[in-house]
Formats: sequence, C-alpha cells, structure tokens
Amino acid sequence: MDYTLEELEEMKQIILIAIPKEISARDFYLNASKKFKTQESIQLFLSLAEQEKGHEASLRKILKDIEENIIKIKNSK
Amino acid sequence: MKLEELSKHNGQNGEKAYVAYKGKVYDVTNSKRWQNGVHMARHRAGEDLTDFLALAPHTDEVLKSFEVVDTLEIDESKTQSSKETLIKFYQKFHPHPVLIHYPLGLFFFAALMQLLFLLTSLSSFELSAIYAFFVATIMAIPAISAGFLSWWINYDKQTTKIFKNKITFSIILVLIGITGIVIRVTNPDISSTNSLAFIIYNVLIFANLPIVLFIAYEGGKITWA
Ligand code: HEM
Ligand code: HEM
Repeated sequence: MDYTLEELEEMKQIILIAIPKEISARDFYLNASKKFKTQESIQLFLSLAEQEKGHEASLRKILKDIEENIIKIKNSK
Repeated sequence: MKLEELSKHNGQNGEKAYVAYKGKVYDVTNSKRWQNGVHMARHRAGEDLTDFLALAPHTDEVLKSFEVVDTLEIDESKTQSSKETLIKFYQKFHPHPVLIHYPLGLFFFAALMQLLFLLTSLSSFELSAIYAFFVATIMAIPAISAGFLSWWINYDKQTTKIFKNKITFSIILVLIGITGIVIRVTNPDISSTNSLAFIIYNVLIFANLPIVLFIAYEGGKITWA
C-alpha cells in the first residue's frame, strides 16, 4: 500500500464511523426478527443480522490494517 | 487451541491451514480453495472466521467434509461482551443527541435576545440573554459528557480529525460561557455602560453561536455523512 499519512487518517475515520452503523443495523434486524412467528421470516431477518455482523468484522479487520500502516509510516519518519 | 496458536497455522511456508468456525478448528490444508491459506483472495487461514460466513455464497455445509482438529479456546479477558452491553445501552438511550438540543437552542436564544437588546435597549431582553447564556453553558456540560461517553463506547476514543475538532471547540465553548457569566455577574450593570468589558461580553455571547453550530455540524458528519 502506498497511501499518504493523511489518506490513511481519513480512511481510518471513515471506517471508524461506519462500525457503529453496522452494529445498529444488526440490532435493527434482530429486533425485526422478534416481531414474526413463522420460521421463514425469522430466518430472513436473522440472516440479514448475521451479514451485518460480517460487515462489522470486515471493517474491524480493515481498521486494524490501517492502524498498522499508520504506525509504520510514523515510525519510518 | 488459543487464537495465538491458530494464527501460526496460516497455510503459508508449509504450515497447515486451519480455520476456526463457531468454536471448532477445521483443517482445510488439502482444499483447492484454500491454497497457501488464502480463500477467494479475501480470507486467510489461521483466523476465526465465524463472523464472515454470512457473507459467503455458501453455508457452513462446506465445512462438513473437513476434519475438526481442535476446539478454539476463547480468551475471556479479550472478549468485548461488557463493551457490547454498553453499546446496546448507548444505542437504546442515545443521550448525546438528546442533550445537545439544550446548548444548541439556548446559545441561539441568548444571541437572539442580546441582539434584540442591542436594537431596542429593553433591559428585559438583556436579562433573558444572560439567563439563556447561563443555562446553555450549564447544559453544555452534560451534553459534552454524553459525547465523551459515546466517543469512548462507540469509537474507542480514537482521536480522528472530527473528534479533535469537537473536543477542542467544546472546551472553548465552555470557557467562553464561563467567562461571559463571570463578566456579567461581577458587573451587573455592564449593559448600561459602553466599556470594553461590555464589548467583550457581547463578543462572547455571539461567538458561542457559530462555535456550537460548528461542533454540531462536525457531529452530523458522524451520524449522517
Ligand atoms: C465472502 C467470502 C467468501 C466467498 C466469496 C467464498 C466463496 C467460496 C466458493 C465460490 C466456494 C466453492 C463453491 C462452493 O463450494 O459453494 C467456497 C468453498 C468453501 N469455502 Fe468459502 N467463501 C467465502 C467465505 C468463507 C468462509 C468465511 C469460510 C470459513 C469459515 C469458507 C470456507 C469454505 C470451505 C471450507 C469451502 C470448501 C472448499 C472445498 O470444498 O475444497 N468460505 N467458498
Ligand atoms: C456542546 C457541545 C456539542 C454539541 C452541540 C454536539 C452536537 C452534536 C450533534 C448535533 C450531533 C449529531 C447528532 C445526530 O445526528 O443525531 C453529534 C454527534 C456526536 N457527537 Fe457531539 N456535540 C458536542 C460535543 C461533543 C463532544 C465533546 C464529543 C466527544 C468527543 C462528541 C461526540 C459525538 C459523537 C460520538 C457523535 C455521534 C452520535 C452519537 O454517538 O451519539 N460531541 N454531536
């Protein structure tokens, strides 16, 4: 990766802000799943919730990568 | 095995390729789809991939044909469960967006009243201005505290640009508020004079309006941008 420190800081902020959005999207679907009685609709919302969990996990991984790159750049200065 | 040991089995340099899913460790070394421990150019062996399966075009059926070599030991000290309860609490009551309305509304109201006083010289406007300014400053403190709470719970106290701006200008906001109140309380009839203190007092009353708007604008970037 050949990003500048400024670009990395900006990316970090975007990813950081996105994480709570995924968490609340997941809660949104989990709550929605509780409103239904048929297995099919419950499953639909649970699977949407699981996908949000996946997004959160992906973002956390990206955040960690960005932070490592920021430290690398700062150390090489 | 623990996560740390799992990470050694990343399928590279002749190492075995292990992936963890729902507490079980699978050996996928012999899969074509996991050559060198890399799956579809996005997942790596040596990790707990439980959360990612929901994003795959397949279900966990694919894991059935692979050998379970161990169970994954979760390091309790590293789990986020207490933080998760806090996040849920915060998302349910969201105190920051509730409390910020007081300083936002009242700093605006204070500036409006002071403006009307300057235009009409009616002292009731001047009194309204200092009362509103006083309550705005007091109410900024719980609003700011709730902001810090969210910053800590939801954003891991990361000092990115937006948060640096919000914190710096929140401090300035409160300092201006306190200074204005002190000037007005120690000089009760300041407004019937044309002193330097009166000019400074007016500048402070009006300055907090753009400052609070800027802090709010930066906040909107977090939730809406
Ligand atoms: C978004 C990410 C993923 C994509 C795009 C993806 C894609 C694929 C595809 C196209 C196949 C072969 C077709 C099939 O069997 O249905 C496959 C197989 C497989 N995937 Fe994934 N996958 C993803 C995530 C995962 C995750 C998170 C795991 C582990 C928990 C996993 C484990 C496996 C396994 C064990 C196989 C079978 C390999 C074999 O039979 O040799 N995949 N994946
Ligand atoms: C009096 C000072 C402040 C005002 C007027 C203010 C105003 C705002 C506004 C208008 C929003 C958007 C809310 C929405 O879209 O629902 C917001 C969001 C936010 N602000 Fe502030 N803010 C202040 C101080 C702070 C401070 C000191 C921090 C912490 C460092 C902070 C952290 C946050 C966070 C994390 C959000 C995202 C929403 C949330 O998590 O609740 N704010 N703020």
